Amino acid sequence: MTVEQDCVALDQFPVGMRVLAVDDDQTCLRILESLLHRCQYHVTTTNQAQKALELLRENKNKFDLVISDVDMPDMDGFKLLELVGLEMDLPVIMLSAHSDPKYVMKGVTHGACDYLLKPVRIEELKNIWQHVVRSRFDKNRGSNNGDKKDGSGNEGVANSDQNNGRANRKRKDQYNEDEDEERDDNDDPSSQKKPRVVWTVELHKKFVAAVNQLGFEKAMPKKILDLMNVEKLTRENVASHLQKFRLYLKRISGNQQAIMANSDLHFLQMSNGLDGFHHRPIPAGSGQFHGGAAAAAGMRPFPPNGILGRLNTPSGIGGVRSLSSSPSSGMFLQNPTDLGKFHHVSSLPLNHIDGGNILQGLPMPLEFDQLQTNNNKSIIPGNSMAAFPSFPSTQQSSLPNNNSHLVLQGHPQASPSAFPGHQINKRLEHWSNAVSSSSSTLPPPPAQNSNSIMSHQFDDGSSSYSIPFCDSTIPLAPAMDTNPRAFYRTTDLDSNANVQPGGVYYDSLQMRQSGNYGPTTDALLSSNAKEGFIVGQQKLQSGFMGAEAGSLDDIVNSTMKQSQGDLSEGDLGYGGFSSLRTCL
Amino acid sequence: MQRQVALIKKSLFDQGYLDEQFMELEELQDDANPNFVEEVATLYFKDSIRLINSIDQALERGSFDFNRLDNYMHQFKGSSTSIGASKVKTECTMFREYCRVGNAEGCLRIFQQVKKEHATLRKKLEHYFQLARQAGPKETARRSK
Repeated sequence: MTVEQDCVALDQFPVGMRVLAVDDDQTCLRILESLLHRCQYHVTTTNQAQKALELLRENKNKFDLVISDVDMPDMDGFKLLELVGLEMDLPVIMLSAHSDPKYVMKGVTHGACDYLLKPVRIEELKNIWQHVVRSRFDKNRGSNNGDKKDGSGNEGVANSDQNNGRANRKRKDQYNEDEDEERDDNDDPSSQKKPRVVWTVELHKKFVAAVNQLGFEKAMPKKILDLMNVEKLTRENVASHLQKFRLYLKRISGNQQAIMANSDLHFLQMSNGLDGFHHRPIPAGSGQFHGGAAAAAGMRPFPPNGILGRLNTPSGIGGVRSLSSSPSSGMFLQNPTDLGKFHHVSSLPLNHIDGGNILQGLPMPLEFDQLQTNNNKSIIPGNSMAAFPSFPSTQQSSLPNNNSHLVLQGHPQASPSAFPGHQINKRLEHWSNAVSSSSSTLPPPPAQNSNSIMSHQFDDGSSSYSIPFCDSTIPLAPAMDTNPRAFYRTTDLDSNANVQPGGVYYDSLQMRQSGNYGPTTDALLSSNAKEGFIVGQQKLQSGFMGAEAGSLDDIVNSTMKQSQGDLSEGDLGYGGFSSLRTCL
Repeated sequence: MQRQVALIKKSLFDQGYLDEQFMELEELQDDANPNFVEEVATLYFKDSIRLINSIDQALERGSFDFNRLDNYMHQFKGSSTSIGASKVKTECTMFREYCRVGNAEGCLRIFQQVKKEHATLRKKLEHYFQLARQAGPKETARRSK
């Protein structure tokens, strides 16, 4: 599907490709704008990096490509590059009068997909659209692969493909290591009938406890599995979850702004798709979610902007949207069967998934640690996962999957809100896919709910898919349409009083990304004690959340009561959620 | 009139005031952007004057913060390059070189050159644009001829 969509989108390409040009030098900016117009692109310019970020965060799907100068007074171009990559997963081209190879190298390591020297010539600009296409294809490819392999596998692939160096290579390698072991187990791509493991809060707690015990760096799936001593849990499940977790944490630590606290929540959300959702009221996320939901609803059919990966962009709302669109993109496929279905549910997948994934993947790792170490009472101790499905508010667990749904869905397909963290995208994709699939198939929620805390039936009870920890390769390809609801936490949330953070999760992810985590998020976070994890996120998300806060607030408030304290710790949680959701 | 304009332009190129980049800018001028080049030039001069003033102030202060000076000059050079201000660009490069080696006196001296070239170019371009406007759009000119 995605391929088709891509093709369709490409038909118009590169004409009308939406470019955001950032350069503090008015002369150069004007010239650049003119050149881009000449290439028949749609151009938006700004001479401030901050403004650029705002624009991007506001709507992830609004742009296909970013061109940015390196030397800018308000923010280093490389920093902007990083943020955009992480949060929005958009291709970024650097522009500079510096021809020093050092700068070029820096551009590469920070994830730029190209580096142009000033004065820019029109010939060079005529081909920049290739980066957008490539990015999309990579994502698609990644998600496709994802079906077959562990999430981790995909991530590795996806990462390499997409993250033009942006991806955390180490992470990738790390994952690849893990993945390789498990790969053989997941060699059945087409029939993703493996029973999905739903990473419930409790399960995640155990996981985190095991990881803590072993030491984060040293934690190996086999050992974790042994420590956890959970029946029917396979090493692959653990490995996959671990990978996600690591990514998540890394993201969180690496990208404080974006990820922040969402890690746990996000993580869980991401992994569980659903679970994550409800736990975290992700205030910010919700905003996004809503957006996402909306998006999901609207699911943009693979928008031409093609930034598939962008789902995650914090622009959150936009991003969320993407996710939503790709409803259930399988992010949280709960049902094994669903899984099967998903995998590419979302043609767009890339778009949203990335968004979601990114968040998920990244923040978590760090957050997790944080969670664990902090006393996020609510979240961590083993609960870092708390953010995840089991948010402190276990009660949340009741949070129906609906939340998860929302969360997940929001993203998956939606617009290419690129989630930062390409890797995560992959995950998200999985999740999205999972979600989508599940959404589509949505097995009777109740069944699933049992697994996931979140098994709330969020969507009017129909889509309660407890997003199982998307270890697997659930292709995130968001089934966009499948469950827009899922993502839209907000939407669902509304329906479900309990709607827990699920949506938040999303938001948190999104929020994280945007880094706007302003007060809103905080508010949300706090309110979502449960989300607790997200708390961290909240901070980040505040920016986003604001927007979404609508529904999130509700959730958050409800959750807040429960665990105020959690929230503080919940940094991760919250954030985590969002991330998770975005994954969707 | 058109011919006069063309001649002036040619001399600017010949004398090295402008380079190919300027021609690229002209390429971008079209019906949708009829005064593109002039607009860009105006922007350039506005920005660059501001930069020149900053550099002047920094130099006058006497505390030669070469890093800072270099930064300013980098920006200045960047926009000069974008517009095709060839001679200005050359002087900028020299200035940056002096900054690099920490030659304060050299910086001062060269900066005078920079300013001079900049002022000259500005005058010439203003004159050029004025004439171009008077000459009117090429089509009309052609037609009138």
